[in-house]
Amino acid sequence: MPWRRLLITFLLILPLLWLLAYGFTRDPRYIASPLIGRQAPDFRVLLFDGKELKLEEIRGKIVFVNFWASWCVPCREEARDLEAAWQRLKDKNVVFLGINIQDRQEDATKFLREFNVTYPNGRDLSGRIAIDYGVWGVPETFFIDSSGKITYKHVGTPGAETIMVKVEEAREGLVSAKEGKGSYQSIR
Amino acid sequence: MWRSPLLLTTLGLLLVILGAAGQQDLEEQTRKIASELRCPVCQNLSAADSPSELAQEMRQFIFDQLKQGKSPEQIKGYFISKYGEWVLLAPTPKGFSLLLWILPFAAAGAGIVLVLFLIRRWAKKKKRAAKPVTPAFGEQPETSIPVADKISSEPPPELARSSLREKQVRLSAELEELDFDFDSGRFSEADYKELRKELEDQAVIIHKKLDSLPPPLRNQPATPETGATPSHGATMRSEPASRRNWQLVAGGLFLLLFGITLGVFLSKSLRPRVSESDIMTGDFLTGTGPGGVTGNSGSDTESFLAQGRAAVERRDWPQAIDAFKKTLAIDPNQPEAHSYMGFILAQAGHAEGALLAFDRALMSNPNFAPALWGKGMILYQVKKDFPAARQTLERLVSLMPPGSERDEVQNTVAEMAQLSGKEKQAAKTPPTKGSSVIQGVVSIDPKLKDRVDGQGTLFIIARSAGSSAGPPLAVKRIDQPKFPVAFSLGPENAMIPGTTFSGKVTLSARLDKDGNPTTKEPGNLTGEYKKNPVEVGAEKVNIVLDQIM
Repeated sequence: MPWRRLLITFLLILPLLWLLAYGFTRDPRYIASPLIGRQAPDFRVLLFDGKELKLEEIRGKIVFVNFWASWCVPCREEARDLEAAWQRLKDKNVVFLGINIQDRQEDATKFLREFNVTYPNGRDLSGRIAIDYGVWGVPETFFIDSSGKITYKHVGTPGAETIMVKVEEAREGLVSAKEGKGSYQSIR
Repeated sequence: MWRSPLLLTTLGLLLVILGAAGQQDLEEQTRKIASELRCPVCQNLSAADSPSELAQEMRQFIFDQLKQGKSPEQIKGYFISKYGEWVLLAPTPKGFSLLLWILPFAAAGAGIVLVLFLIRRWAKKKKRAAKPVTPAFGEQPETSIPVADKISSEPPPELARSSLREKQVRLSAELEELDFDFDSGRFSEADYKELRKELEDQAVIIHKKLDSLPPPLRNQPATPETGATPSHGATMRSEPASRRNWQLVAGGLFLLLFGITLGVFLSKSLRPRVSESDIMTGDFLTGTGPGGVTGNSGSDTESFLAQGRAAVERRDWPQAIDAFKKTLAIDPNQPEAHSYMGFILAQAGHAEGALLAFDRALMSNPNFAPALWGKGMILYQVKKDFPAARQTLERLVSLMPPGSERDEVQNTVAEMAQLSGKEKQAAKTPPTKGSSVIQGVVSIDPKLKDRVDGQGTLFIIARSAGSSAGPPLAVKRIDQPKFPVAFSLGPENAMIPGTTFSGKVTLSARLDKDGNPTTKEPGNLTGEYKKNPVEVGAEKVNIVLDQIM
């Protein structure tokens, strides 16, 4: 009888404890993306140099799409890494594309000048591209393979090494099982 | 004629009113849909209630979609496809989400059942307590009432017997309770003795009364309590007391086991934080982070890594690759395995693959020294990317404690600056063939020819001139050699990829029976170049194996 009572108490309490412990390990702000492995939503973006870029036009290349804002501290941290990675990859059938969100034109331009960013950058004025990509933090980066499929997503600063590795994986068409995470800021 | 302008005005007004009504309707619908969607950047706020920029953009998007004729379901479906089911404030009741709907009701139901059960049990207890054999302690004891009179009021002997037996059982329980209270210090010894005596007196009276009753008509099985008297209190108490003891022991054991399990799992799940951005420091118990210890596979990873390291020492590349691949299959972020793969690839001349492997290692641990070293040396030696190489090696220097190793890396960084100019110059002029290799022949002393059976492995070893200990500068391995063996030793044979293979070196060779460079068996043949040391770039270097170990 006491054994049965103990066992029942144990069986009742254990799942509750597990649930609580599991809850503590989760970041309540984190939203897992359902987009990895799916076709990247097409978009048209007006670049800072006045030209227009359509994602469909660069199909066949590995595309690195980075959502950023000048007020975001982790975006400043990663800016030099991104430019360095671009310099290493620009002749290797890779396109880097920065998409500025929730920002002011002059602040964004100042940011690009400060970090000598040479890869194409444009502004998402309506926020439609960001919503299409399920963006909720900055920086957020998507790796798209030559067939237009999203192979990897990184929330936060990815670091030069991650960029090199994930570009190579995208080149091989390898889809990551889960997204990566670095330091990030929620968008406004 | 006058009717037309009036008609037009009326129609115009009607259209404006209808338009305004339509706009209002759309706004209402937008608000309704937004109120069902979670604002992704807020804590428990709907997209309708949030003042955030993203929520405003979401509302505008919903409005535009409604205007285009999309249904609310289509719009919600769109948001789910971008943010997952998470975006719905009330998730759809199917699959795992179904639990969210069922669990609260199930928990409430279970709670109600439990409360009813407890109330019923308490009510039963109270009922039993309402007709005690004796008054509560401290009140007038039963001895003051002539028990015989009370019993005589129960005419049928069988009823009287059962009632007396019941009282007897209760008395024994009260005695037990009294003992327990006394043990826990609730009574003074004098009170305890007095109360115990009272209870024992009552028990004796009941016992006598039972004896005075006519024998039962049928043979009834005697219960353990039937023959018990206060003098046999120990036997009466034994069962509940032992039950309590068992409960205490079981509870203690459970707590002990729980503590041990928690201790073991928690200590296993912890690992040091590897960088500032590394938020998680454990596995499933404390949060999964990159490179975290992965429960049952931790020991396997270690054993495969050890196998790989041993294979690298033996320069058994296929086995080393196999072991590191197995390590990475268990833990894809293992930085050491990635680094070793990088060194092996560099050894084989696959600079791109090696860089990738080092990058993978650094992705898991940005401060992993061997990967920084390997990457820096490849960028420096192979890629000639001096700024990137310097950046990587300077990062390594900043991580290393002061000492000879750090000095060596610092020297390499300094060397890089000097050599970069020379490399540029060298790139303009065609390289001299064989300038960075040593070429020659290894032969066997004729006296020892019968010791060679075509088996074994030949190692040609180059050490920096003047050093006899530590790892060699470069080693060439030739399996089952046919003497005389022509060889060429160059930077591709360097033990550490990227090491400069230049200057003066001492050369030796060994014909090893088991092919393991780390073991030296008796019977191995060895020999040294007679004109040691030799300049890198030398040709016709003849080494004769003329000694037996």
